[in-house]
Amino acid sequence: MQSKASSFRAKTFFITGAVLLGIVVLAFVMSLVCSPYDPNATSAKEILLPPSAQHVFGTDNFGRDVFSRILDASKYTIFISIAGVAIALLLGVVTGLPAGYFGGFPDRCIMLFNNSIMCFPGILLALVAVAVFGPSMFNVVWALGLVFAPTFARVCRAGAMELKTRDFIMHAKVMRVKPLRIMYSHILPNLMPQLLPATVIGLANMTLFESGMSYLGLGVQPPDASFGKMLADCKAYVLTAPWLVIFPSLMLIIYILGLYFMSEGIRVSYSGRSDS
Amino acid sequence: MSKAFKKAVSAALFLALCAGLCACNNGQSGETSQTVPGPDASITDASENGDAVYGGDAVVGITQEPSSFDPHKAVAAGDKELIFNIYEGLYKFDSTGTLNPCLATDCTISDDSTVYTFTIREGVTFHNGDTLDADDVVYSLKRAAGLLDSQDGTALVAELDCIKDVEKNDAGQVVVTLESGNSELLSYFTTGIIPDGYEDCDSQPVGTGPFKFASYTIGENVMLVKNEDYWQTGLPYLDSVTFKICADMDSGLLELQNGSIDIFPYLDSIRADQLDPSQFTIESNGSNMVQIFALNNAVAPLDDVRVREAINLAINRQDIIQVTMGGAGVELTTAMSPAMGSYYDSSLDGTYTQDIEAAKALLEEAGYPDGFSLTVTVPSNYLVHVNTAVELASELSAVGIDLEIEQVDWATWLETVYTNREYESTVICLTSDYAPYDVLQRYASSSSDNFINYSNSEVDALLAEIPTLADDSAKTEAYHEILNIMVEDSASCYIQDPTTLTAVSTRLTGYSVYPMYVQDMSQVKLAE
Amino acid sequence: MSLNAKQNLKYAGLKLIELIATLFVVSFLTFAAFSIIPGDTAQIILGPNATPAQLDRLRAELGIDQPLPVRYITWVAGAFTGNLGNSTSFKVPVIDLIAQRLPVTLGMSILALVMVIVVSYPLSVFSARRPGHLGDTVCSILGHVLFAVPPFVLSLLLIVLCSGVLHIFTMGKYAPPEKGFGNYIASLALPAFAIALPKIAMTFKFMRSAIIEQNASEYVKTERSHGLSEARILLRHVLPNSNVSSITIITLVLSDILGGSLIVEQVFNLPGLGRLLLTAIDRRDFPLLSGMIFYLALITVILYFASDILSSLSDPRIRIK
Repeated sequence: MQSKASSFRAKTFFITGAVLLGIVVLAFVMSLVCSPYDPNATSAKEILLPPSAQHVFGTDNFGRDVFSRILDASKYTIFISIAGVAIALLLGVVTGLPAGYFGGFPDRCIMLFNNSIMCFPGILLALVAVAVFGPSMFNVVWALGLVFAPTFARVCRAGAMELKTRDFIMHAKVMRVKPLRIMYSHILPNLMPQLLPATVIGLANMTLFESGMSYLGLGVQPPDASFGKMLADCKAYVLTAPWLVIFPSLMLIIYILGLYFMSEGIRVSYSGRSDS
Repeated sequence: MSKAFKKAVSAALFLALCAGLCACNNGQSGETSQTVPGPDASITDASENGDAVYGGDAVVGITQEPSSFDPHKAVAAGDKELIFNIYEGLYKFDSTGTLNPCLATDCTISDDSTVYTFTIREGVTFHNGDTLDADDVVYSLKRAAGLLDSQDGTALVAELDCIKDVEKNDAGQVVVTLESGNSELLSYFTTGIIPDGYEDCDSQPVGTGPFKFASYTIGENVMLVKNEDYWQTGLPYLDSVTFKICADMDSGLLELQNGSIDIFPYLDSIRADQLDPSQFTIESNGSNMVQIFALNNAVAPLDDVRVREAINLAINRQDIIQVTMGGAGVELTTAMSPAMGSYYDSSLDGTYTQDIEAAKALLEEAGYPDGFSLTVTVPSNYLVHVNTAVELASELSAVGIDLEIEQVDWATWLETVYTNREYESTVICLTSDYAPYDVLQRYASSSSDNFINYSNSEVDALLAEIPTLADDSAKTEAYHEILNIMVEDSASCYIQDPTTLTAVSTRLTGYSVYPMYVQDMSQVKLAE
Repeated sequence: MSLNAKQNLKYAGLKLIELIATLFVVSFLTFAAFSIIPGDTAQIILGPNATPAQLDRLRAELGIDQPLPVRYITWVAGAFTGNLGNSTSFKVPVIDLIAQRLPVTLGMSILALVMVIVVSYPLSVFSARRPGHLGDTVCSILGHVLFAVPPFVLSLLLIVLCSGVLHIFTMGKYAPPEKGFGNYIASLALPAFAIALPKIAMTFKFMRSAIIEQNASEYVKTERSHGLSEARILLRHVLPNSNVSSITIITLVLSDILGGSLIVEQVFNLPGLGRLLLTAIDRRDFPLLSGMIFYLALITVILYFASDILSSLSDPRIRIK
């Protein structure tokens, strides 16, 4: 009964998350194939128009179509979060798995390094990296990747430590399977219940950070759009042109919320499965 | 900051930031530099305000961190607008752009314009209690011109580099001798006078102005208090003035709306329209600034005059003004603003009206039928310039030019773009102290301010000739000729003279806008 | 010495060694980021036109003609004695700049933490009493949604609401603590709330499930059946037993709050560490940047250390693990 209730919960979370994410992914696809206007094309005659049939989300202070810009921003947001998480995941797996599997001194060193990185408030570290190397989308991606890597390393290490004492791993060891092979073809696939939700949450947190950095002007550079940058640019018009605030914030929240629900769904469904 | 860099920054004198400038009456012109009013001329008539309200505090919003309080080293316009209240020079501009005697009571210029003799005003005391005398003036001017024994000969105020010597004569007057004749120099004697031997201007400014320096809290504010012993009786009205540092134009607007600042001189019309007219009066004037889309004449493909002309034809100045200033700006064709009156050549108006086809044809002729990629380096702290770059990128894409925007901080901009000239194009505002020569001297090929690398021997010759001309109409003609040559060469892309607006809380009166970058708080008082 | 005390001591000793090792790595990373990566500091400061003699003089002045290990030791010694040198852009000691801004950021962070505790604890107790009923469902959904709102977006929305529509908050009007404590708190309340709200949601989520877990445990059921009052069970048993997780959560929340306040300060135009940080980034002021980053990391390291010790005190099992 427990598992039935939790499977219902998992489904609800999962479906809500998927629907919310679907909206952003749809925007991403549309930005590639059928953006109604060029997102960066300005038009001095159409400044700050409220939403209408022509411009469904209105226009901004450059006369650019907000809807097209939101589509474009979805593209960058999705790209940055996925690229950043991919880097973090790669680094995390490469350092975390051997650390947990072999243990001992190398493990202590890697974990000490990881823990030390986690002592810097994440956004701070990313800001500094961008400060030293200059603001650009590329720098944001790898800086955030580095910041998030220790989280994944932790998950991998804990999983590897737990799994290496299991029978099937012991068995492989006896069969003299190379450690590298054990780690990547036996341990890694079994870490999915922990890694998958962590990855999805990582995407959400990455987006939170990226939007904050873009808001501070250290992320996506003009004229390209990002939700954070769009919000930073509309500060002066919050009262007179609320559509400039509402739509980007809404999309940002939808994307992050979708990811949270998704990860919650995955987590609950995995824990439900292990319960039964 | 290093000495080398400081020098570089000093060279960037009068370079100001578009985001905020005061304004001027369009009718006024640079003629004032010729006027030498007699000893009785006074800057203000305080008696008019006999029943004025004294006391109170005013908060002025500024959008950048002060970098220097030293009257000779401060180069950023944002520093100058503030220290205008602390220091005074021998002469001082008023709100109409007229140059009046201040710490000097008069000035005699020799016929060959090589010797300037100043009579020093009596009864003026510095903020530290010392009485102003000729020695203070000699020290200050020598310091500004780099002539003190402790200095290496480089002028702190670049334009005063031409001073050969400063001395006190037997009558207690100050005699300034120049290397060669220059009739255009009087407006630079507005540079601040400090006590003899004083060196701590940066940390503890001491001047003769209406307000005394009280404190500077980094990132927060600069506090000034009333100078009770100000030589102009009756002034100032306020007990204290706070210059509060706002992150940018937008937070300044919000702080105005919330009443945490009273005066904010950096608004565009879109933002100014959001203010309640019963709480704020909006002051506006033409501002005598030149916003330039600077094209580095020394790098390919911008070294081709056809390419520069094509860019000039491809852009729509009115649209840029609409987008960046909400329509409040004057279109420019040349390096000079119409605010310069007769020195401005109105016959050149409308040389460039947007013509995409003509621009494309020119590009094809120059060998770029498919356009090219161009980087524009803009200072990130000036929203107007960044926004201009965004609009330019959109407009230039129509002729195939792919404009990439690179944002840099102000210090980096000064160093790489202005000093080292390592850039392709940039957007910036140029200001001048209301003298036409000051506007154009930067285009001499040898000028350290010639950051666009413009080079034309005819212009060089004219610029060398102008200071020796005594007749104003001859000067005017020479200026017109320079402007015409520069248009022929499409030296760069001049966009607009932006009209920035100043919001003043209705609880204050007496604020006046200047045709240069200063905030004069001496006349401001509480409304009754 | 009892076995328990011995274990305590051993655990604390191990943690202390870990703390020192972490501090070493943290300080080294900070030092490296600003001393090695950017290249020749003297060249950066003096620009490309500097003469070799000028460069040598400045290097000697800055102490960067010394070998790296010497420079590192000097820097760390300085960091712990509050002597981080002068900021290159403001030319005043770094430590003074940080001290000047600290009241804003620290005040806001502490205020936000208080909000998180005061709101999320009662709410999670309330929600966990009857999981699944209407109040719980509303709180949970709200929690999920608020969790997903970035603090700076929340700040923007709050400014529009409180400053623009209701006129109950003056933006950018920071009142330093020496000008009245009440005003100081009032000037920081709204930004603190913007940072706290997502963290309230997060703490609520964790605490709620911790309490539900405790409620379902056998000993609580037994106590209920013995007729102990609900309040007594909650205060004496359920909450103390979920203490471990709450200490961990609060530590996590606090370091997030510190990071979040850096951005929110900028939205509210408050003169805190966040603004200083951005100015330092803008001006490439590396002494200032490294000082600020090291101290912020130091706070976090100490927080984690304190949280480990506190958790072990409230749950001896942790020590054995």
